[in-house]
Amino acid sequence: MEKFNLSTSRLNALIKHLMTRGIVYAPHKNGEVSFSFDEVRDPGKVILNYNRTLQSIKKYFLPPREQLLSFSLKSGSLSKVEPENPLRIFLGVHSYDMQAVLRLDYNFSQGNPELNYLKRRQNSLFIGVSFEPDTYHFSRSVGIMVEEFDGFDLFLDKHSSGYTLYVVTQAGEELLSGFDHLEEAPDRPATHREFRNKIKYNFNRLSEVFDHAWDSSVWEEIAQRCVGCGTCNLVCPTCYCFDVEDDVNLSLADGSRYRSWDGCMLNSFAKVAGGENFRADLSDRQRHRVYRKFKYITDVTGEPWCVGCGRCTAYCTAGISIVETVNRLCEEYEQTVLRKPLAKQDWVL
Amino acid sequence: MKSDQIKPNKPKIAFFDFTSCEGCQLNKLNLENELPDILRHVELVEFREAMDDKADYYDIAFIEGSLSTPSCINRIHDIRRRSNILVALGACATIGGINSMKNLQPIETVRETVYGEEKYRFPTLPAIPVSAVVKVDYEIRGCPMSIPEFLRVLKALLMGKAPNLPDSAVCVECKLRENECLYDRGIVCLGPVTVGGCEAICPSFGQFCTGCRGLVPNPNKDAMLDILTQHGLSLEDAQKRFLLFNSYNIESKSIT
Amino acid sequence: MSNHIRTGIEEPDRKMLELYYPEIAEITRTKQITELEKWFEIALPGNRDLNHQPGQFVQVSLFGFGEAPISVTSSPTKRGVFELCVRKVGTLTTAMHKLKPGDRIGIRGPFGHGFDLQKMEGKDILIIGGGIGIVPLRSLINTVIDRRSDFGRFIILYGAKTPGELLFKDELKSWREDPTIEYHVTVDQGTPDWDGNVGVITTLIPRLDLNLGNTIAAVVGPPIMYKFVLMALKSKRLPDENIYLSLERRMKCGVGKCGHCQINHSYVCQDGPVYHYPVIKQLPEAIQ
Ligand SMILES: Cc1cc2nc3c(=O)[nH]c(=O)nc-3n(C[C@H](O)[C@H](O)[C@H](O)COP(=O)(O)OP(=O)(O)OC[C@H]3O[C@@H](n4cnc5c(N)ncnc54)[C@H](O)[C@@H]3O)c2cc1C
Ligand code: SF4
Ligand code: SF4
Ligand code: SF4
Ligand code: SF4
Ligand code: SF4
Ligand code: FES
Repeated sequence: MEKFNLSTSRLNALIKHLMTRGIVYAPHKNGEVSFSFDEVRDPGKVILNYNRTLQSIKKYFLPPREQLLSFSLKSGSLSKVEPENPLRIFLGVHSYDMQAVLRLDYNFSQGNPELNYLKRRQNSLFIGVSFEPDTYHFSRSVGIMVEEFDGFDLFLDKHSSGYTLYVVTQAGEELLSGFDHLEEAPDRPATHREFRNKIKYNFNRLSEVFDHAWDSSVWEEIAQRCVGCGTCNLVCPTCYCFDVEDDVNLSLADGSRYRSWDGCMLNSFAKVAGGENFRADLSDRQRHRVYRKFKYITDVTGEPWCVGCGRCTAYCTAGISIVETVNRLCEEYEQTVLRKPLAKQDWVL
Repeated sequence: MKSDQIKPNKPKIAFFDFTSCEGCQLNKLNLENELPDILRHVELVEFREAMDDKADYYDIAFIEGSLSTPSCINRIHDIRRRSNILVALGACATIGGINSMKNLQPIETVRETVYGEEKYRFPTLPAIPVSAVVKVDYEIRGCPMSIPEFLRVLKALLMGKAPNLPDSAVCVECKLRENECLYDRGIVCLGPVTVGGCEAICPSFGQFCTGCRGLVPNPNKDAMLDILTQHGLSLEDAQKRFLLFNSYNIESKSIT
Repeated sequence: MSNHIRTGIEEPDRKMLELYYPEIAEITRTKQITELEKWFEIALPGNRDLNHQPGQFVQVSLFGFGEAPISVTSSPTKRGVFELCVRKVGTLTTAMHKLKPGDRIGIRGPFGHGFDLQKMEGKDILIIGGGIGIVPLRSLINTVIDRRSDFGRFIILYGAKTPGELLFKDELKSWREDPTIEYHVTVDQGTPDWDGNVGVITTLIPRLDLNLGNTIAAVVGPPIMYKFVLMALKSKRLPDENIYLSLERRMKCGVGKCGHCQINHSYVCQDGPVYHYPVIKQLPEAIQ
């Protein structure tokens, strides 16, 4: 794989170059201590050294609110709405968020493939960046290394004196054409990053843990602390559930059908017209959410649907930690199924 | 379902004012100028007390304010009798709102503080939401009520359908707008247990949610109190936060 | 430019991918059959057949009012038009009740899995319908009637809360009079002019004389009915493999995307609404 040196001082030049190729999105400061992906207007405002963005880049492929069609009430006719798909370059994406996009690709292309998502997704290029794992990141525990290149076209690996720019795909190489003065990087030892496994079991054993977790008391225990605000769904890069609703204009003559993000932690998610709520209890909803991340789709694809970004935990005001939940289940499994005494704690919470 | 009984041409709508803290800004919302589109569809028969003669029928009556005197009670019964659909507007009318803070003190104390020596000339009741006295068909929450939601409800009623109002937390709207959570700035917020629909307007401007739209269905109050205390409030302050808008809901469910 | 979509969809087939656009269909006939239920006959453009299986549903759109899953109640043997029967419970269903012949509605579908007719051929068919559950079952019933010689005995058990809530009364009469159908009906609460069975639907099951190995049961009703019907069928010793049931969940998309209809790993809009009972036993959330 080709690789080049990129000094921190030349980063802005690279961003400017990318901006001549397509619309560039990158992390920016948002609020006091947070970050979010936004369109780059001033390369100087881009922040590549960030812990996580409030929302992942999912928002560009599955927007929080999206017009599905518009209609006229009088004639009862509909107009189609074409999803836009300009060439977009996502700069500074962490490996777990890239993996999350690949997982959504699966969700929107298997079964009944969906135009809205796939069309938006089509003309996108991704430039990864390495990150220093913080307390909440645990992607390594679900099999995603900081330097996982899968999905990226280019990858920026930060080291003490700048970046190593890896060219991962042909499209990545084409993206660089016209950006001069790139000098071949020497082989250097991989940057050492402290990133310990936080989940007790290897992720490919979790399915077996979840085979025995259905009746665990853990669900009820977390439910006692949970307020059902839905934040954990709404910040998750692999959540894709949505609600659909019609809205009419003030003229009452025409309107549009919209879909917007929804979440299985919310009270009415599984409620039907007769008043029956199929997941009325928070414990049932917690269980469903976690099974969705570690069991249901995983049994089909072999991959955990949680990418270890840590958002659901970092942004839960009640401090409910998905790592802790999974570890509790592992322990229970060990004690009740394997009947083994608790192993030495070689994992951290 | 009442909403489908509205007559197709020009429904009569009216607004009534009870005990509210400077109203729900319908004054500011200059209906005539800003909403010509929607007004083409209605006949405004009563706006506050502006028009003297009472109509004997309203398709939709919007009620602002909570009820706090015996004469309020008679008046609301009278309006209910003459209205097909009755909509409560704003926190005071829907959940008692800030007015219901006085429920936390013995009623005599309230009357003394408010009216001093003259207290016996002014009978007062605990501040209660409209639904505690008459049937309310729909509620537009918020202090002040949210204009987008008002329009949403009005549009739905004019189309002859029940308005579809959210019952999920303010946090949902915060996430859709990608706001930084106030807890990450060390500020506590009632958004996690407060019903959304205001587009998380306060957190979007850096203000914590005071819970003006009332609690979500089946709120986990203990968990919310834990969140507030874990983020630095004393238990007493945490309870006060809760009660600001939800006193009626939490403390005085029995008053009707 | 390359694209990374792993599953390899390069140039999407547009028609297939436009999942959310309904087709505009026309209501050709309507009938108010009870205070709450209205029947509709609907024609797709060019009177194209819907091509559904009994037990499948369509997503009905009324612009401005939304969309809802509604079972097709006519049998596939009826050509050119199809039928729905809608109970008025909320926004969309209330608005539908105001529609008349000539009005237009949006249709997506048919969606989901219906009853497995191939597995039913040559077998005795036992229909168990509670309340509005008779609506999807009517599609199966009329299929069996129209292809009567393909099936063995035909037993219909139908229960409603009150006599007034029984649907399709004319057809009930013809089922009763048909010598090839063993038809039993019951109501939870009788009225003075009701001279039939009174009691919940499960009371009809013990007296049945079934050829256990050769009987397929199709069960549709409100959520609470399933537990009791299954218990009754169990004590009759009807094998689990011979039971199919249809489940209801909240639905938004109908195409396996929105997540609302999930029961454990299963999407009711894709794998159901009609499930083979052995499959349901693997889904702890299915019947509570
Ligand atoms: C597979 C299937 C087949 C059905 N077949 C029929 C039928 O043949 N006849 C009939 O009358 N009804 C049927 N229903 C129920 C019907 O879909 C609901 O009554 C209808 O969605 C209520 O919509 P509404 O707008 O009138 O009610 P509202 O209460 O206003 O509904 C609000 C929203 O909740 C959702 N919702 C509410 N109740 C249900 C529900 N029970 N199922 C799914 N989503 C719901 C809808 O998406 C709707 O947008 C069926 C449901 C399913 C899942
Ligand atoms: S973010 Fe936390 S409190 Fe909110 S629903 Fe999720 S687990 Fe519960
Ligand atoms: S479950 Fe939590 S940690 Fe896992 S991907 Fe979703 S938000 Fe990230
Ligand atoms: S079911 Fe729940 S966890 Fe799964 S994608 Fe939907 S909201 Fe996320
Ligand atoms: S600021 Fe308040 S409403 Fe917004 S996410 Fe945080 S707790 Fe929820
Ligand atoms: S954010 Fe909270 S306080 Fe502000 S309007 Fe919304 S509900 Fe009321
Ligand atoms: S109805 Fe949307 S996934 Fe089944």
